Amino acid sequence: MAMVMDGEVQLPAPREVVWAKLNDAEVLKACIPGCESLEKLSETEFQAVAVVKIGPVKAKFKGKVRLSDLDPPNGYRISGEGDGGVAGFAKGGATVALTPKDGTQLSYHVDAQIGGKLAQLGQRLVNGAAKNMADQFFKNFVAAVS
Amino acid sequence: MYAFTLHRPSSVRQAANLLAKSEDAKLLAGGQTLIPTMKQRLASPASLIDLSLIEGLSGIELRGRSIVIGAMTRHAEVADSPVVQENLPALAELAGEIGDPHVRNMGTIGGSLANNDPNADYPAAALGLGATIVTNKRRIAADEFFTGMFETALGADEIVTKVMFPLPKKAAYVKFANPASRYALVGVLVSKRGREIRVAVTGAGANGVFRVTAFEEALQRRFGPKSLDGLSVPAAGLNSDIHGSAEYRAHLIGVLARRAVAAAAG
Repeated sequence: MAMVMDGEVQLPAPREVVWAKLNDAEVLKACIPGCESLEKLSETEFQAVAVVKIGPVKAKFKGKVRLSDLDPPNGYRISGEGDGGVAGFAKGGATVALTPKDGTQLSYHVDAQIGGKLAQLGQRLVNGAAKNMADQFFKNFVAAVS
Repeated sequence: MYAFTLHRPSSVRQAANLLAKSEDAKLLAGGQTLIPTMKQRLASPASLIDLSLIEGLSGIELRGRSIVIGAMTRHAEVADSPVVQENLPALAELAGEIGDPHVRNMGTIGGSLANNDPNADYPAAALGLGATIVTNKRRIAADEFFTGMFETALGADEIVTKVMFPLPKKAAYVKFANPASRYALVGVLVSKRGREIRVAVTGAGANGVFRVTAFEEALQRRFGPKSLDGLSVPAAGLNSDIHGSAEYRAHLIGVLARRAVAAAAG
């Protein structure tokens, strides 16, 4: 199933600082909910392991995260695909744009697809769970740049 | 299934100790969510702590102006209980409409509340009736208990032991059930106790059960379905899925709330 999500976050830091943090593996790791490891393979590629927990469901996803369309300090696209074993798979990305306005305004557009059992059984929960995870990520990220 | 360790403690204290020291352990109450999830391999806890052998965790009694229900009490027991039917019929009816006979004979009130599924019925009962959730450590008001989708105020080694429902003057629950799962697409519980009026909605909110203060204030003036005329809940923040859009759910909340008020007032 496909999923689309848009949003905006106000960050209390100049655009250059936000840009640097968005490219920092340690910061991303600390902000991604359930992220167990995020290893840098190259300047634009990471190997990631994240545990997704939604109520009774708990699945570990392994996969690659890539940064593309880099346009410092205006934005980039972060995308990836993860294999959750029997739980299914997830792939997708987010286009992130930074605008200088009372600090920095970050707007994002997420498009993702999930498949396998997680999509089949979790239908009624996936959108809410994805929204929660995005909120959690940006809450952590606001704390990281403040 | 796959290999896991099954613990069968005989007291809540033992269960709490096991929960605190075992890594990746889950409490097993009625198992109506956990076991299917494990069968699908969407969860694989290393150990399960079965609460079914602990004495005193189940049963229903009238204590003063409250009904006290043990955490391991099955939905069917609540539905069939003469005490509940006589003093809090809305709760007996709600329990009788959960899932199917299998779910009602296995599922427990404590398990349902601790799981806090955003479409489950019991969270609406607890929030809509102003229940108090009692654990091995403290008492938690329903208003503080539900903290998000599948999230509760329960600590890592905290176990629900009973639920206390103060008796309302009037109450009714109306749900629009998914015909396959019987989960609430939207469910509304309305109650009046003294001057306190509660309207709790399950199935619709992206963060689980919630109260509709605008409806509650309107019902303060006069407790009748007409008081809700012209009022609605914004669709923003509501669930949208293959069963219904956020706008559809918002509309259902208004319709079901009026029906619940009519049933409670009548």
